[in-house]
Amino acid sequence: MNTKQEPQRFVIPIGPQHPALKEPGNFQFTVDGEIVTKAIVRLGYAHRGIEKAAEERTWIQDLYLIERVCGICSHIHALAYCLAVEQLAHVEAPPRAQAIRVLVAELERIHSHFLWMGVSGHEAGFDTFFMYSWRDRERVMNILEKLTGNRVNYSANVLGGVKFDLDQEQIASIRGGIDFLEERTRHYLDVVATDFMFLQRTRGIGVMSRAQAEIMGAVGPTARASNVARDVRKDAPYAAYKEYPVDIILDERGDLEARFEVRLKELFESFHLIRKILDTLPGGELTARMPRKVPAGEAVMRVEAPRGELLYFIRSNGSDKPERLKIRTPTICNLTSVVKLAIGHQLADVPMILAGIDPCFSCNDRSVQIRTSNDPDGRMLSWDELRQHGIDFYKRLEK
Amino acid sequence: MNWFFVLLSLMVFPGGLFLLAGGMAYEWVDRKMLAVFQNRAGPRWFQPLADTVKLLIKEEIIPDKVNEILFIGLPIAALAGGLTAALYVPVAGLTPVYSFPGDLIVTLYLLSLLTLCMGLAGANTLDRFSLIGATRTLTQVFSYEAPFLLAMLGPALVAGSWQISDINAYAGGHWLILTQPVGFIVAVIGFMGKLVMPPFDAPEAHTEIGAGALTEYSGRGLAFFHLAKAVELIVGLSLVSAFYLGGLANPLEFLVKTLALLFVLIGLQSLLTRMRIDQTVGMWWRYGTLVVLAQWLVIILVMRP
Amino acid sequence: MNSEEIITVATGVVKSWDWATETSRPLPKQLDVKVKLIKELVPIIVGLRVKRLGYLAAITGIDLGPEVGEMDVLYQFCPGDVVITLRVRVPRQEAMLPSLCEIIPSAEVFERELQEMFGIQMLGLHTTEHLYLPDDWPDGVYPMRKDFDPQILSH
Repeated sequence: MNTKQEPQRFVIPIGPQHPALKEPGNFQFTVDGEIVTKAIVRLGYAHRGIEKAAEERTWIQDLYLIERVCGICSHIHALAYCLAVEQLAHVEAPPRAQAIRVLVAELERIHSHFLWMGVSGHEAGFDTFFMYSWRDRERVMNILEKLTGNRVNYSANVLGGVKFDLDQEQIASIRGGIDFLEERTRHYLDVVATDFMFLQRTRGIGVMSRAQAEIMGAVGPTARASNVARDVRKDAPYAAYKEYPVDIILDERGDLEARFEVRLKELFESFHLIRKILDTLPGGELTARMPRKVPAGEAVMRVEAPRGELLYFIRSNGSDKPERLKIRTPTICNLTSVVKLAIGHQLADVPMILAGIDPCFSCNDRSVQIRTSNDPDGRMLSWDELRQHGIDFYKRLEK
Repeated sequence: MNWFFVLLSLMVFPGGLFLLAGGMAYEWVDRKMLAVFQNRAGPRWFQPLADTVKLLIKEEIIPDKVNEILFIGLPIAALAGGLTAALYVPVAGLTPVYSFPGDLIVTLYLLSLLTLCMGLAGANTLDRFSLIGATRTLTQVFSYEAPFLLAMLGPALVAGSWQISDINAYAGGHWLILTQPVGFIVAVIGFMGKLVMPPFDAPEAHTEIGAGALTEYSGRGLAFFHLAKAVELIVGLSLVSAFYLGGLANPLEFLVKTLALLFVLIGLQSLLTRMRIDQTVGMWWRYGTLVVLAQWLVIILVMRP
Repeated sequence: MNSEEIITVATGVVKSWDWATETSRPLPKQLDVKVKLIKELVPIIVGLRVKRLGYLAAITGIDLGPEVGEMDVLYQFCPGDVVITLRVRVPRQEAMLPSLCEIIPSAEVFERELQEMFGIQMLGLHTTEHLYLPDDWPDGVYPMRKDFDPQILSH
């Protein structure tokens, strides 16, 4: 018999499949009663090997691949990629195209922040908030659909410009939608800032000081809620942000309440920016000519995704395929903070803290390993095999 | 022929089937109205019945290393507790089937049986979510139970009887919500805690611990727990409205008053954010219990001849 | 600080190590530092951090293929609108790099990625567990290397 009593460790797994996470990620929280004493993160459940796959495809094929890194922020990924490739090829997209890129990026931000708002409300057990914010999110998704033809993967970018133009009717519908959303955002800001019960769950929870945010490398709204003035739109303006500057929204409290307020106030910046773009949309061409082969070189492109700074690194060897494409997503920077911040908090606060950084796991995880039911060991499929698999599958269905 | 009527009152009306049907109807009202408040479509009218039938015909999986007798027995005890409690309560505005002096205490204990069974059911399994859920359920029992009990005893004190039918008759002439508003508020909020409704749904907060104490339950056991909850909803509503909303003298009064009370509950559910378990306990012991005790003091002082 | 100042400060820091580094500016807002001695990497990064230029945006590994037999590792720092890149080159066989976790905690995820994707051993990193790859991933197979053959995974 072992006489020495080891303190029992009680581990609560959150994920890969868990109601608190809409995407697969695994967090193991060791708890002592209700208090979290240790946190471990494990990723890769949605790893698709996109970086590797990008090396096997041409520059144009890659654009379609990159757009599928993330469902929520598909535009900003494609935008970062296009800007980086344009930089390498010494091509600059025309002003009208750049303005439309920013317009879609900001609409995407609105869509993403509304989505986040609902999810966080749900984590807090405030389902009414969740339902209402997602209802309003439909409006911005409809705008995006009207604009680009898609609700999620907008596919607005091409190398050297954008695919579509705006007409008067679309402009009018965007304006109407923005007015509606601005009013709603004002209401939600009021709710998160004054609702007593909601404040009980956000005020003073998951506090990250400025020094912590800096040392943990937090980015985006998470960093800005801790008073770190880090916004790529402001620091290193890309696309049309030079002509359409934004203000950085800062908050010094660093808790969940601050994260809510920063994101909601950012929405007002987005509304303002969208109106300004619609007012002063430059005329001209939509695309610039792009060579098929990109000169050898390296490019680093940083853009501000809804969740924070997104970094693309591309090395070209002068062929029609990239030599290396690296994607550094904002969530990977912010995850460190979740693991550190959760310690000492109640288990009930953990989903809130996790949601507070607006995690996006499919962004994070980027090989294709397919497990088929008749092949329990799992196998790796090459692109051609995968394609053949798809064709066979649908042929079988037709029979 | 006497045993026939006894059996009838236990199995069909006002106990048994009637309670189950009524409970499901109220559950539907609760779900539907909550959905309407949240801008959703909500379930169709037969959804609670469909859920129950589905669960009843589903395979019940008994996990390893649990006490099987407890695992099967607890849901039955919970449902039996709720159904028995209904016999002493003027459900549907009719005179209770059984009545004896002091039945109020028995009823309140029988109503607690559900939460207790849920806590034990969670503690019986080895699942991590269940264990945390069980801890939270039992913590919650200890926080709301005392204030709720005190709030229900307030009307008993003024009616001078601990028999539910007497209090009901007394309340018919006095709207106690006016004279004992604190008691009413505590009773309503305590009742929400009893039924684990939002914002007191920390024991089954699914974004944290899955389904809480009942995570390992499927099939019959889960159906019984759900039914017990539905029955408890209707019994509790009758009890609170009989005591505080001017008594229940006939079925129409019952329908109007309990539904009105249910609407209040639905409004609170849709407006409030879930409280953490420490916040729930803190609220009850720091404020809830104290205000009820203060009201008691006032009642005793006023009533003293 | 504007971008010119940042670059001046960063160049000043790197200058103390000019026997071990080679500096260039491929674009106006980019500073490229080739670090020839790996053991000088950590001191340089400490130097940058002291000057508050230590926001590590990414660590990028690039395999140059079996013919070259080497890999590039790029440490990208992004203060303001400037990109400071520290480049080191490691052999493909028994690649080793010092870990930055002690100085920059957020480097951990990037280093774990390098470790499992490129097979660069990180000295001082406390874990060798997989972050992205499945638990049953074979040892010694690094998917981001150029000679990675997916067939190796089919049994």
